[in-house]
Amino acid sequence: SGQLYCSLPNPRNVRFESINMKNVLHWSAPEGTGDGVLYKVKYAVYGVGKWIRKPECRNINRTWCDLSSETSDYEEQYYASVKAFLNGTCSDWMETTRFNPLTDTKIDPPMVSVSSTDKSISIILTAPEKWKGSPEEESISLLQVYPGLQYNVSVLNKKTKKRWFFSINNNTLVVPWLEPGTVYCVSAQIHVTTPLLDSGFSEEHCIATLKDK
Amino acid sequence: TAGVKIFHFGACRVPVSMTEIRAGFTAIKANIQSRDPIRTLSILSHPHSLHKVKSSDRCCITHHLFTFYVDKVFKHCRTEDSFVNRKISSIANSFLSARRKLGQCREQNNCVCGEESTERFKQILANYEGLNVTSAAMKSLGELDILLDWME
Amino acid sequence: GDALLPAPQSISVLSTNMKHFLTWSPVIVQGATVRYSVEFQGEYEREYANGSWIPTSECSLTTATVCNITEDISATVAYRLRVRAELGATRSPWGTMKGFFNRATTSLTPPLLRALADGHHLLVELADMGPTLQFQVLYWRKGQESRVRQKVVREVSSVVHLDTMEAGAEYCVKAQTHVEAINRSSSFSPTQCVRAQGDTSVWL
Repeated sequence: SGQLYCSLPNPRNVRFESINMKNVLHWSAPEGTGDGVLYKVKYAVYGVGKWIRKPECRNINRTWCDLSSETSDYEEQYYASVKAFLNGTCSDWMETTRFNPLTDTKIDPPMVSVSSTDKSISIILTAPEKWKGSPEEESISLLQVYPGLQYNVSVLNKKTKKRWFFSINNNTLVVPWLEPGTVYCVSAQIHVTTPLLDSGFSEEHCIATLKDK
Repeated sequence: TAGVKIFHFGACRVPVSMTEIRAGFTAIKANIQSRDPIRTLSILSHPHSLHKVKSSDRCCITHHLFTFYVDKVFKHCRTEDSFVNRKISSIANSFLSARRKLGQCREQNNCVCGEESTERFKQILANYEGLNVTSAAMKSLGELDILLDWME
Repeated sequence: GDALLPAPQSISVLSTNMKHFLTWSPVIVQGATVRYSVEFQGEYEREYANGSWIPTSECSLTTATVCNITEDISATVAYRLRVRAELGATRSPWGTMKGFFNRATTSLTPPLLRALADGHHLLVELADMGPTLQFQVLYWRKGQESRVRQKVVREVSSVVHLDTMEAGAEYCVKAQTHVEAINRSSSFSPTQCVRAQGDTSVWL
């Protein structure tokens, strides 16, 4: 078809939002356009000469597009771009900044599981997995992606309100010699020194040590 | 914190303040990369990825690349923005410090240059010389995280 | 012109625990407020960028005679520093500090430390001394000085757990400040000893 005259305002704030390398392109609708705007999306591997259309995000009316599969190689960097259409007119292509999955992703807190005896609690931490396209695919822990990954663990004695702080490299921690019959609340955070990436702290997992026999 | 990473090349130890360098780059990444409009070319990562370099060649390529940045790149990246200039100075001086230690590794014969690393670096220089010097320097600076990701 | 305003003198750096401050003597002009601008030059600028100078992040047209250059001295190389006085359109010549400053020469002080015993647990509280510093904490059971254990503490946001202690035993702790970027440490803090709670039946 002939080249459309693109006078539609542009999509705004086109950016990747990434958590555990699930890389989703987001944008805001062009200013002043109501319903009915449709979009199409393309992406490019930085340094490679061509833009690639994303068929599943062609003529969509939502303002996001999951490009996790297309950007799963975190040794590459990417650009993505969005164009809006309405009533026969269109906008310009609006691009993201350069996206580096390794440094531009956010990391979820670790999973925390806690068990207790009368005088100790045992904590097992599990780092989140890298996004994968299907359950059948092999799981890759973020521990493999970020070898320098550490855990910061906070243990709160609910009776004394005292909080202790542990910094560990492996994923298990046993805290012995605790007060029997006391509730302890545990939360943990992932810390990667370089690139500098910190998860938030997990929810608190509280458990009571058993009453003294 | 100033996370220093110790790189081991044979018996040679090279401490590099990676966290400081990364912090400096992160602070100016968007600014520098926005000055590089060319999406279809890369200096460091195409056609050959650094990630395919044999481990025996890592020291030599690293030394080549630190020299490349110190000799050719940083000096052509001065901008009108003094914040950006300060961060570039910080990175450049950190690179200079690390390159000196890498040079000591070469003197101790812990940094042998094989054929592959020489070929690989020639390709990088060819990519660089394929652009005018300011564009090439700005693109190279914008790709610093490619080098840092590979080093780590 | 510029000749009326003398260059600042007695320019020196005070550096403690990786915080670096440039100081100089004031340029006195009766009834006027003199302002100062500071620039720095790293080894890279000297050897590869034609000896160029870079304005500091915090001190341009400041009335103070001290400048926090910590943000600017961000590599372990030799830096040169200079200051100029300014009064309206009049500028003094640059006053350049004699010699160089390398952050590797910063003076490091031992950390403020508090050892704690909480039941059978040996804990330590450390005063925060900035992002570039970390702490090497040594701890041992009193009388077993040959079996000293070490923990590197980076985050000092709260009480850090060191170890569990044997009932009733006394444990000692000391720590030193360590800077990875310059690979140097302070002297040790004074040793502090605490005693673990007595026998286990005390919980009843």
